[in-house]
Amino acid sequence: MNNENKLSSDEIALYDRQIRLWGMAAQARMRSTQVLLIGIGAIGQEIAKNIVLSGIGQLTLLDDRILTEEDLGSQFFVSKNEVSMKRLEAAGPRIADLNPRVTLHVDTDKLRAKNDEYFSKFDLIVGTELIPADASWLNDATRRLNIPLYITGSNGLSAYCFIDLIQFDSQDTKLQSQIPTKLGKVSKNRTITNIEIKEDSNNNDKKQEIITTRHIYKSFSELLKTFTFEGLHRRQIKRMSNMVPLTLALLTIPEELNNEQLTIDQLKEYTLKVCNQGGLLKDILRDESIEQMVRQRNIEFSPVAAIMGGAVAQDVINILGKKQSPLNNFIVFDGITLDMPIYEL
Amino acid sequence: MVRESNIIQIIGETEYARLRKIRCLLVGAGGIGSELLKDLILMNFGEISVVDLDTIDLSNLNRQFLFRQKDIKKSKSSVAVKAVEHCNNSKLQAYQGNIMDTKEFPLHWFDQFDILFNALDNLAARRYVNKISQFLKKPLIESGTAGFDGYIQPIIPGQSECFDCTSKETPKTYPVCTIRSTPSQPVHCVVWAKDFLFNQLFNDLSEGEGQEGETSKDWGSDDVDEIKRIQEESQELKELQDIVRSGDMKRVTRMLEKLFVEDIAKLLKIENLWKNGRTKPVALAKENLEGEYDETLLLSVDQVGTLEEQIAEFINSSKRLMKRLIGAEANAQGIEFDKDDEDTLRFVSSASNIRSLIFGIPVQSIFDIKKIAGNIIPAVASTNGIIAGLSSLISLRVLQLLPETKDKGVLDINMAFTSKASNISNDRYLSNPKLARPNCKCVVCSRVLRGVVKMSDDGLKEITLGGLVEELRGKYDFPEDISLMDTQDQRLLIDYDFDDLQGKTLGEMGLKEGSVLLFSDEMDEDQIRKPIELYLSMGQERLVLPDLPAEYIEGQTPVREEEEPSEISANADANDGVIILDDDLPEDNQLGDKRPLDSGDDADRKRVKIGDNDDGDDDDDNDDVIELD
Repeated sequence: MNNENKLSSDEIALYDRQIRLWGMAAQARMRSTQVLLIGIGAIGQEIAKNIVLSGIGQLTLLDDRILTEEDLGSQFFVSKNEVSMKRLEAAGPRIADLNPRVTLHVDTDKLRAKNDEYFSKFDLIVGTELIPADASWLNDATRRLNIPLYITGSNGLSAYCFIDLIQFDSQDTKLQSQIPTKLGKVSKNRTITNIEIKEDSNNNDKKQEIITTRHIYKSFSELLKTFTFEGLHRRQIKRMSNMVPLTLALLTIPEELNNEQLTIDQLKEYTLKVCNQGGLLKDILRDESIEQMVRQRNIEFSPVAAIMGGAVAQDVINILGKKQSPLNNFIVFDGITLDMPIYEL
Repeated sequence: MVRESNIIQIIGETEYARLRKIRCLLVGAGGIGSELLKDLILMNFGEISVVDLDTIDLSNLNRQFLFRQKDIKKSKSSVAVKAVEHCNNSKLQAYQGNIMDTKEFPLHWFDQFDILFNALDNLAARRYVNKISQFLKKPLIESGTAGFDGYIQPIIPGQSECFDCTSKETPKTYPVCTIRSTPSQPVHCVVWAKDFLFNQLFNDLSEGEGQEGETSKDWGSDDVDEIKRIQEESQELKELQDIVRSGDMKRVTRMLEKLFVEDIAKLLKIENLWKNGRTKPVALAKENLEGEYDETLLLSVDQVGTLEEQIAEFINSSKRLMKRLIGAEANAQGIEFDKDDEDTLRFVSSASNIRSLIFGIPVQSIFDIKKIAGNIIPAVASTNGIIAGLSSLISLRVLQLLPETKDKGVLDINMAFTSKASNISNDRYLSNPKLARPNCKCVVCSRVLRGVVKMSDDGLKEITLGGLVEELRGKYDFPEDISLMDTQDQRLLIDYDFDDLQGKTLGEMGLKEGSVLLFSDEMDEDQIRKPIELYLSMGQERLVLPDLPAEYIEGQTPVREEEEPSEISANADANDGVIILDDDLPEDNQLGDKRPLDSGDDADRKRVKIGDNDDGDDDDDNDDVIELD
């Protein structure tokens, strides 16, 4: 760490409790990063709160929507008398106030008005509540520019996140157990490429392994085209939350159907296609779940936003600072059972 | 579309009307509490009361997002309630107080709530609210975080496990000899510097010889010479205490000589200690003590200084502490170690590091020593956000407000703890086992029946112990041989061969609101009545006993003796020799067993401390606190 990157004593005091989690070097690294967060609804606000508090360098919020009455039921940083203002004009100042050390930019342009030059400034991009076409469009740009991308959204009691870090080498340190870790493929998208053995400074009898894992990712459109649940244990498939195929169905359904008029039968049809492609058992699908998904489609709910927003922010902070094993590459949260599986699709 | 439209889509109109009438108690407005308050008001719960004893600290601001720099030193609960005004649609009430204070929060006060949320940072308060929940049969959502780890546990009294149904992590203790003669890790030296040295020199100002209560401690050795030497060493501290209190700054180097030369030399003479290839300590050399030192040196907190720098820090911080001790007001009470008090931290840090250098143990920065000495638990906003989200979400199931799960039973509800972030699993972000039945061996919820006795002031003045026992025996059909105990101090009031107090009134016995009586069957039979714990709650009627089922247990199993392990810090006298530290997080991933003790929710103020009962900045005054157990 050179002197420019050294934390001041004020910063050490403010960030004390989290520096103890990820160390001073990671905290200092985060200070020089720039993040773009698209969409400042319920999940967007949760992510913004968490990463502003963490002390990243600069955060840009991009959202062109108008604040509605309905937003008041799930978004914390807005107020009744701001309804019909730009959402960002309402929420921006309250988010900025969370941590004066972070530079916050607000941008009320449309996403599609942005180009590669705009995106290329950022170290990482998070897109929330995007329609699948926009998510794919954005992901094409981040792939061209080699920028990590998170796509997240919620449907009432359930939520999802797609992660594309393109290729990412993580480092995890763990105590060596009886059976030493081996090099090689550990799962569909992860391969251990290096293991370094270190003495444990606090305990001479034990050794630590510094494990480098290479994570590979797929683009959003490729994932939707090629996903399969092959390789999962039969029990995992049998017990899979209905929200998993239903979420994928909402992401693959043609845009012209994905609106207020979407019927239970239509969603069912696409969910069956998902089951077919993914190798899932059709009999796990329950009509109540399909009905729930149709009713709660695109509805924001504060606890669910807090959970998924927390998970996304934590991973963002992790890859900007500490570089421990990141999420790979699709998570779904089921708010009834609290199931939150991570799939490498 | 209106504010309510989203939640109505999720729970339905009828349930929404019920939700608007639900009264929540939120215990704690720290890390989890701030997040939970946000979630509960956005969900439009009818009423939320927030209780927190603490004031806001700079180190809270990285996660307790309702607080700003300008709020430092103000009450957490009232600042939190003000900070949500702009988007609030619920009836809010803030209390600054200790939830265990039965004067401010008597049992009937809790009765107004439909659900309790724990967002606490210490075991004692968690256990207390758990007991209240059991007495009043109120659902409780328990939660906690530590770093990236977190959990929620919904507790439905009588139907699912209570907080005490599973054993909790016991704090780490170190044998006296490890601390005093044979340290091998930085933590051993920190404990020595803080609990032994600092305390004896600056805090314990009672006159006279070494204060070690030398009976029944965990020595960790049966070497007679070693134990004898430790006892002598304690006696010899008198000399250093005199130096400290003399205010004679020139004598500070004598402290170095005694602690780091003479004491080490004497330790080396105990040959048994160094037989098994243990690294021998190397005492400081003369030139280390006599050399020039930098009188203005202040190491930066992340720096690992040299021996010379550590010695300068030791001398400088000793002098500053001595000056403070001369100050009239400090002299009476001594100086307490406080991790946020620079002088005390630097003294402990330098003393610990010099000792580490002598014993060949790695030296630590002040930042790292602060963590060990102050028992700081890491904490971050995202974990608290996730856990509070889970806690508020699961409350809908507990309150039966989710239409999808209407006909499902309590044991279909899930608890949750972090899995991916805790490095337990790569394929699930959370583990979500279903709730378990109450543990039949749990002394809190299963080995005892519970009820609330209502009594008026007149009742308290008029009813005698003997009279009460007759009432109880009649009501619950207990046999001849019984006992009645005041659980607050484990005081026997009456039993089959002790009836001296039976003519005393309850008032005369000091019983009052919040007293908990234990009524037990003492017959020598195979089957005896399950003991009854009765909470005394003051009201209008002279005496109303609760209706309870007649349940039996096997005899000759004295329930009270199996009491859960004594409260972590309750007996940990600083001079007691056994030093207590919170252990790291549990590493096992057994379902339901992973319960980090602390919550990131202002974990720094927790009461489980190394040796000390308190960490100094905890302004929790326990005078009026009655513990139920």
